[in-house]
Amino acid sequence: MTKEELLSKLKTIIEPYVQNQEGLENMSEDTNFIDDLEINSANLVDVILDVEDEFDIEIDNDGMDKMLTVKASIEVIQNKLAAK
Amino acid sequence: MIGNDIVDLKLASVQSNWRRKGWLQKIFNESEQDKIWDAEDSNHMVWKLWSMKEAAYKAHQRLFSLSPKYNPYDFICADEDVTVQDYNYRTVSKQTEKYIYTIAFTDQTNFISKVFVDESLQYKSKLVYYIADMMDVNLSAVTLQKDINGIPIVKIHNKITDIAISLSSHGSFSAFTVDL
Repeated sequence: MTKEELLSKLKTIIEPYVQNQEGLENMSEDTNFIDDLEINSANLVDVILDVEDEFDIEIDNDGMDKMLTVKASIEVIQNKLAAK
Repeated sequence: MIGNDIVDLKLASVQSNWRRKGWLQKIFNESEQDKIWDAEDSNHMVWKLWSMKEAAYKAHQRLFSLSPKYNPYDFICADEDVTVQDYNYRTVSKQTEKYIYTIAFTDQTNFISKVFVDESLQYKSKLVYYIADMMDVNLSAVTLQKDINGIPIVKIHNKITDIAISLSSHGSFSAFTVDL
């Protein structure tokens, strides 16, 4: 899977939880889920569960720790996919 | 050191389905999950424990100037205490039908806290007003900012102070806690 495909899938996953639509339109690797997209911190659990379902991976606590930005999430997903 | 967190229960029930498969396991250990299922009102208990973890996270992050991390699982609730690694935070929670509010603190703390229930979300300006009054300076001399880790800081006459504050808002409710 290319990075672009991964990014596009991630964008679809987070969209229902985003409270700042402008942030989503301008989404980049540096985008922070809570600060820029105003995703409620309890909804990050849903993002993580959706990511697990979509990519058929399991995100452990170490992976979860990092999943606050687009960039870190992509890295976590890529690592888990590579380890499959 | 202090941290706070408020949960609007009505909004939480719209935003989060904690009964979703796998949801509780990502955040709560087995004894916390038992506590949730054993509670008279499981929904209330989920958000009480969540707010305890969030409040303790904020106090812990401020105490050690930590960069942001999403690790609610590492903050373990037992009775009214929250433990992370070897550090312990005490908490006090206020529960109503509409919201749950928790303050986490270390022993040497003399804090005051205020909850706003009027949807005005004026908590930041009210906090500035309070600090200006306590420090006996002009309102315009007090500014709130976030540091590089996103931790809120108080500046007076553009100088960083060591006044510890914590801010929280969710839905109709907001709150500040300040340790002077």
